Amino acid sequence: MLNLFKPRSADFKVSLSDTETTFTVKRGESLLSSALSAGIKWPFKCKVGSCGSCKCQLIDGKIKAQLDFGYVLDMSEIQDGYILACQSILRSDIRVSVHLTK
Amino acid sequence: MKFYVNARYLIVPFMSLIAIAGILIGGSFAWVGVALFGLNTIIDTLTKNIHLPADFDETGESYGIKGFQYAVMFLMLPVFIVLQLVLAYRIFQYTSLTPIETAAFLGVSYEVGTSGFNLIGATLSSGLWAGLGIIYGHELSHNKKEGFLVSRLIMALSGASHFTYAHVYNHHLDLGHEDDAATAPRGRNIYAHAWLSHMGQSRFSYNLEEQRLSKRGSSALNFDNRWILGYLYSLPSIVLFVWAGGLVGVAALFTVWVVANFLLEALNFMGHYGLIRTEGPVEHRHSWDNDSVFTSWFFIEIGRQCDHHVRGETYFWELDDVEGPNYGIGYFSLFVLTLIPPLFRVYVQKHLDNWDEKYASRDEKVIAAQFS
Repeated sequence: MLNLFKPRSADFKVSLSDTETTFTVKRGESLLSSALSAGIKWPFKCKVGSCGSCKCQLIDGKIKAQLDFGYVLDMSEIQDGYILACQSILRSDIRVSVHLTK
Repeated sequence: MKFYVNARYLIVPFMSLIAIAGILIGGSFAWVGVALFGLNTIIDTLTKNIHLPADFDETGESYGIKGFQYAVMFLMLPVFIVLQLVLAYRIFQYTSLTPIETAAFLGVSYEVGTSGFNLIGATLSSGLWAGLGIIYGHELSHNKKEGFLVSRLIMALSGASHFTYAHVYNHHLDLGHEDDAATAPRGRNIYAHAWLSHMGQSRFSYNLEEQRLSKRGSSALNFDNRWILGYLYSLPSIVLFVWAGGLVGVAALFTVWVVANFLLEALNFMGHYGLIRTEGPVEHRHSWDNDSVFTSWFFIEIGRQCDHHVRGETYFWELDDVEGPNYGIGYFSLFVLTLIPPLFRVYVQKHLDNWDEKYASRDEKVIAAQFS
């Protein structure tokens, strides 16, 4: 609830590391929902942080995890910077690596 | 429009306060919470044919005010705590043999002390309205950080803090599979389901924690175990009721928890009874919608299960009719039917037949045929 009183931050930019693709994430929106709104074929299934389909590797930048990734991702994946896009709110511009669906 | 869209979801907060006031006023008013439940069943039945879509403006933006709806949901935690406190207060009066007499406070007369009969009314009222905590516990389980903790605390008041993890990591992932304790297979009645689903979800939560902790090389038996922590959140309620009335207090709290958890599992039961999912993502057809107007507003759209399970990240006020399977009646009316299993089976059969014919995939039809 304290978040309600924080000043509004600007939108953030996401760059996909293996392509030239970029898109914008609005304040408070998840990485996944913004990607899907931008027409990007990001893999997903449950959208609530339980299946792990939307995982990607954070190369650069900061996110805020909405749920504990430890239930779905291995420790080694978390150490390698893997995150769940459906449960990630951006705190800066970021660059990620993701295997898009075809 | 904004006022209408946001105010319509205040039925439970408003009625919870009435139930609390009833217990405080005492006497026959202790039964007000039970009476309201009956009244709601009548309203729900009378309005079963009214179905309204979600409201959006011309640009497609929802009229729901997130800050307001969250403030209400967060404030329901202290409301549910007060509900337990007033019941404990009545139990204390009963067990300490406080004489029953009338007094007045700010011009409102109330009864000091309580009879055993009216204490039963207060206990049932508390159980029924504590059980409705599920609608906030559920919504907040999907909505991040502070909301997740508030969800756990609300559920802990009913001894069901495990729900929050089981709902997200089991129910949403394994919906319609045998692995999902909250999905009731065909032929199961609500009484069996309440027990099996509750225990199944609790077991799942424990295993989930055991797995998470073992990834870190930790034992499951420590205070980092959120399954254990969840039950510890219920400890203040137990201490309160033991202090207020010893064995009577324990019996009352047990009753509150049984009633509340029965309501929680009734919602799971009604949301997915008899539906089957094989491989592939969750689709609209894997849930039953209950979106008659009173159910929608009272249960803050938890009945729009078809949309919710596909768009789990969506706020309740944005969930909409997606033309999925629909019982055609609201939760209150359907709940009464589920209490009489033979009647429920007769009612639901035509809906299951319709699901098998119009919604089920080929593989799902094969499994469905095994039940008939």
